[in-house]
Amino acid sequence: MKRFIRVALAAGLMASAGSAIAQVKIGALYPFSGGLALLGDESFRGLELAIEERNAAGGLKGQQMQIVKGDAVDPNQAVGEARRLTSVEKVPVVFGTYSSSLSIAATQVAELAGVPYFELGAISDPITERGFKNVYRSNPTAKDFANRMIDAIGEAIAPALGADVKALKVAIVHEDSLYGQTVTGYQVARAKEKGITIVETLPYSAKSVDLTPVILRLKSAGVDVVLQTSYQNDTVLFFRQMKEQGLKLKAIMGAGGGYSLRDTMTAIGAANMEGALNLDFTQYKTNAKAAPGIDAFVAKYKAKYGTEPRSGHSLANYMGAKVFFDAMAAAKDYSGPAIREAVMKVDIPAGTTPTGWGAKFNEQGQNTRVAPFIMQWQGGELVTVFPAEAAVTKMKTGVGTN
Amino acid sequence: MDVFVQLILNGIMLGSMYAIIAVGLTLIFGIVRVVNFAHGEFLMIGMYAVYLLSKHFGLHPYVSAVPVIVLLFVVGALVQRFIIQKLLNADEHIQIFATVGLSTALINLALIVFGADLYSVESPAVRQSIAMGPFTVLVGHLVIFACAIALVAGLHTFMQTTPLGRAIRATAQNRNAAMLMGVRVERIYIISFGLGAACVGLASALIMPIYPVSPTIGTYFVLTAFVVVVLGGMRSMVGAFFGAMIIGIVDSLSGYYIAPDLKEVVYFAIFLAILIFKPTGLFGFGRGTE
Repeated sequence: MKRFIRVALAAGLMASAGSAIAQVKIGALYPFSGGLALLGDESFRGLELAIEERNAAGGLKGQQMQIVKGDAVDPNQAVGEARRLTSVEKVPVVFGTYSSSLSIAATQVAELAGVPYFELGAISDPITERGFKNVYRSNPTAKDFANRMIDAIGEAIAPALGADVKALKVAIVHEDSLYGQTVTGYQVARAKEKGITIVETLPYSAKSVDLTPVILRLKSAGVDVVLQTSYQNDTVLFFRQMKEQGLKLKAIMGAGGGYSLRDTMTAIGAANMEGALNLDFTQYKTNAKAAPGIDAFVAKYKAKYGTEPRSGHSLANYMGAKVFFDAMAAAKDYSGPAIREAVMKVDIPAGTTPTGWGAKFNEQGQNTRVAPFIMQWQGGELVTVFPAEAAVTKMKTGVGTN
Repeated sequence: MDVFVQLILNGIMLGSMYAIIAVGLTLIFGIVRVVNFAHGEFLMIGMYAVYLLSKHFGLHPYVSAVPVIVLLFVVGALVQRFIIQKLLNADEHIQIFATVGLSTALINLALIVFGADLYSVESPAVRQSIAMGPFTVLVGHLVIFACAIALVAGLHTFMQTTPLGRAIRATAQNRNAAMLMGVRVERIYIISFGLGAACVGLASALIMPIYPVSPTIGTYFVLTAFVVVVLGGMRSMVGAFFGAMIIGIVDSLSGYYIAPDLKEVVYFAIFLAILIFKPTGLFGFGRGTE
């Protein structure tokens, strides 16, 4: 019995000594409960997979990474949890956050504490436009999406239609909350730069139960191409009423929101959604040549969680986490200035990561090598169609059955 | 000109939808004298019920109208019996808080049970558009229009000709006098609240093929329904019907000719103007003229 206790004590001591020496805490701030929990958790899974992969390969500087979760249900709690992570748990770095409003709140805390904050999924531009020294973002912003939508008219849609981009009648339709207004603002500015004429800009309330006035306006103006920024309910209503009112478009493009979700397609019907273009984080029906490692990611994901990935959020978080782990490994320590120096040295060409994005950070900490791919609903599947190297199939023209 | 006629048509169709919802709200407000803020959530319950019946038993939404109307009648009666009844003599604010609380609770309950996802039923025949010359109308909308007229006419006849209808009108006019005349007021309230909710049951079966259901679907319709009720003179079902038509048409026209995001501004401006200049509503007959 005495011997057993001695052995047990020795084993316990070894175990605790081992963990004290070779562990580094990693803060993970996401909405794990509440209304944003589904995609918050999906985002976290990407980080979790990246950490497991790194730990299996020896960890960071020989230390195993240990996740400390913070549950950010709303901006207030994001602040509280960010404080707990940085001052009580004393994590050297924080990863997050999925939602922009949560990220804006939490990054302020991290900045004041001088703790590096790696944003892997929130798209609101101001997150990296406030002159912070410790905030870095690997994913594209709302402005990147808006610019890409406008550019796509000239680079992808006009060639597919065999039309002159200047001759196309383009309209912007958007829900009228901050989200829709922000994206539309960027789109209008970009269109002016590119010399594309926007014939109609039509805002509407996302709670609207009738969008026929919008559709009749588009019909009267003889619009060819519509760019829509929308949530889910209004996307469904728009497509249904577009069919009912016989609006015939040459192309329609959304950016995430309602356009990416399978439920939206089911509610609208595959035939009526056919041809709808969508700009979003990289999804899984993408050519692996432009996104090396995407298949391996899906395999790992399925092995761990037993399902297909629920959205592209996990992939975007996985890609960003890996980029920042490399930067952390290259930094001389985890202090703010050392991390900054290492992140600024990151130089990964586009087309070499599982999302297809590269990584090169500007002074504000924003990744500038992010070009979201264009996807299209074809036969009830969201497939990548542009650019050519990422495409799995050719882009179609026309929308729905009208 | 074509567009104008199409807009008017769309407005009438939209108005019929508001009419069915607003008639139920008018019943509850006119008789029980309670502003039911949970009305939209009754619609949500009804729509989920239609969805479940269609998914598990393959019922067409129009067929499921029958069980869903009964279900909503029971829900309404229970709400009246166990929540509103207890607050009948309480302050109006308390009643409002009770229905607002009920509304929030129901939305969150739906979030827990069904999640934030959209559910819809497949009924392509209902979503078929009929071409009338250059104009198009949806089959489902025509059905709603017919049902709205039938509902208003039916309820009006019921109120005017049956003994129960008379008792309901008596209760609405003067609760105490009706009680003295031997009307069992509490029972009348339960029936009226049930009827009001049952109207929403009908609405949910008719709307479900056209709109997908989500926990917040009620909030999309109910604010407009309140405007309609006030426009219609608060207690008149026929008033509510025409009020709904006006709102539908204003909604449709202002969305096209002014701006889609300003249409709420237009009809809320009308709403305020009526409250200021004609507080009894466009078809208001004054208090106690039910």
